Amino acid sequence: MSENKSDIIIIGGGVAGLSTAMQLARRGAAVTVLEREQIGNGSTGRAAGLLGQLRGTAEHTRMLMDGVEIVKELEAQAGVEIYVQTGSVRVAETPERAQELTDLIEMGRSINFDINEIPINELAERMPYMRTDDLTTACWCPTDGHLQPAELASAYHKVGRDHGVRYETNCPVTGMLLDGKKAHGVQTPKGEFHAPILVNAAGPWSHLVAGLTDTTLPTAALGHVYLTTQPHPDHPVDRLSPGFRNRHHRIYGRPENGGLLVGMYGEDCPEFDMNTLPPDFDMSAMKARRDDLHLAMLIHAAQQRFPWLNERTPMHVTTGIMTFTPDGLPFCGQLPDHEGLFYCTGFSGHGIVQSPAIGVIMSELILDGQSSYDIASIEADRYWEVPGFQDRAEIQQRCYEMQGSYYGRVEGKTAATQTDPKEASA
Amino acid sequence: MKILVPCKRVPDPDQKLRLNAETVGIDPAALTYILNPFDAIAVEEALRIRETAHPDAEVIAVSIAPAEGEADLRTALAMGADRALLIEHNDPTDPWNVARLLAAVIEHEQPTLVLMGKQAVDDDANQTGQFLAAQLGWPQATFASQIEFIDDGIRVHRETDLGIEVIRTTLPAIVTADLRLNEPRYASLPSILRAKKKSIEQTTPAKLGVQLELRVRLIGMELINSQRHCEKVETASNLLAKLRETEVVG
Repeated sequence: MSENKSDIIIIGGGVAGLSTAMQLARRGAAVTVLEREQIGNGSTGRAAGLLGQLRGTAEHTRMLMDGVEIVKELEAQAGVEIYVQTGSVRVAETPERAQELTDLIEMGRSINFDINEIPINELAERMPYMRTDDLTTACWCPTDGHLQPAELASAYHKVGRDHGVRYETNCPVTGMLLDGKKAHGVQTPKGEFHAPILVNAAGPWSHLVAGLTDTTLPTAALGHVYLTTQPHPDHPVDRLSPGFRNRHHRIYGRPENGGLLVGMYGEDCPEFDMNTLPPDFDMSAMKARRDDLHLAMLIHAAQQRFPWLNERTPMHVTTGIMTFTPDGLPFCGQLPDHEGLFYCTGFSGHGIVQSPAIGVIMSELILDGQSSYDIASIEADRYWEVPGFQDRAEIQQRCYEMQGSYYGRVEGKTAATQTDPKEASA
Repeated sequence: MKILVPCKRVPDPDQKLRLNAETVGIDPAALTYILNPFDAIAVEEALRIRETAHPDAEVIAVSIAPAEGEADLRTALAMGADRALLIEHNDPTDPWNVARLLAAVIEHEQPTLVLMGKQAVDDDANQTGQFLAAQLGWPQATFASQIEFIDDGIRVHRETDLGIEVIRTTLPAIVTADLRLNEPRYASLPSILRAKKKSIEQTTPAKLGVQLELRVRLIGMELINSQRHCEKVETASNLLAKLRETEVVG
């Protein structure tokens, strides 16, 4: 047997691939992770690490609730403290955003998620550094929190290694080995690697990896930026202050080292063509120019909620690339064109928080052929041969629009329901 | 008063660099360029002077670069500089000749203060400010970590290996900025939009009447190989053998 033979090859050493590898190895599979650069050095290493469990639908919220439990188990196994439970708030300043919160509270309670409305004066006490006089409604999720993505990646890595996962770094996949419709390995500069099952967890590069089998994968690489202030003498942010989401201003954030981290899903974002980036592109070296327009928009938005924050506030700026899909939900599972090839990508800015449950889902799909979760909304083939989602330019535009509507649209039962791919093409 | 701020366009030092196969130097393909961080500190200081001690100050950013260098001057404008001048030049240069070009601009603009980075992060030469002072016959205060305006000039704290040295000088003068002089701002949204409308003044070494005579020539460049090789050895004598093999110990 060749040295480079395993049961399953995971392409991509970010949280999605690492979590999947760990869960597969725990169930006895021989797993090899191939990473083009260093473990956790792509989108994972640039992520803000918020763990908000509340999503627009009950099934996704349930998945994220389980995810937090998995992270807690992981802490015990890896012997590290990862999760910082601070609670989180969502704030509303308009009637429709207030209704959104009311709907989310109702949905959360229906599945026993700990959530309730919090009086604005109480919110002002918890977050004295935040403007609250223009808020009408806020909700409080006490079990939410955040983590440092690098610590999560390293815990997956450690537990995976303990269960025999092999990690190959600086090992980009350059070709796919096919036997007719059956994928059975990959080519890399370090030679061929063979396995009957392959998982494409290559994040922003995943549509390029899919291209190796002439497969169309509707993901797009979109830029994102967040800032982290240094501690402000007049506006200290306690380390256990809540995370926050303010969809009206399109911002989210959390405490970080006495300062405040704030990010934004703006209407516009930078677009990247992964094909034109250098082959040794290192996302961790990305930085924002001092006159970066998206950063300026973020600072402007953050200032509406945190009036003490402005362009002169000493801050660290983090820019990176996210992998978006046309509906903002990931692709998990197989496509009809090849056997043995699974997809685990397109987390649309929510890869860290989804990764614990996604690892379980992927391991179930691969080893059992089905998942214990209702995964209809995240199945990889939901855009398969759907007109309007096949051409690169179209895909790029769809994903770009999705990013723009991420915080723009209103969630909840009274809001317009999630667009069905088949309808969207009409 | 006028404050002139020379701004160098440099490759972002945090990116992976490749050498050019044909000519000596870094391969410019796919390189990301930024405003030299020390020059950004100088821009910031000039803006603070305008905001506090000298509200009448005019801040002028100057760059010697190919046409693409406009982007970095646009950064200085977006931060708040009043004017920007590009000395369009495509070929290699050196600190002595950069100083000559700047001296020609200074002769024309007559600034009271020239504020510039102590060095550029690409070649780390740390010479241009000093050469410029020598060519103009102006006083210089290098490695500034604090600048105060006093009756007859400025008082500058400069960081030396022995501690903070405080010096006074008359104006006009050349001041080079050290890392701790300030923390540069990012550009605000209105300021970016304003900067987009501003025009960047253009000139060339020929128009300035400067014939470049290079004193420094790049004859070779190589990347540092930082790849380490790790190997597990079972016993101390094996370790010693390995060290002898690789000539770490004799």
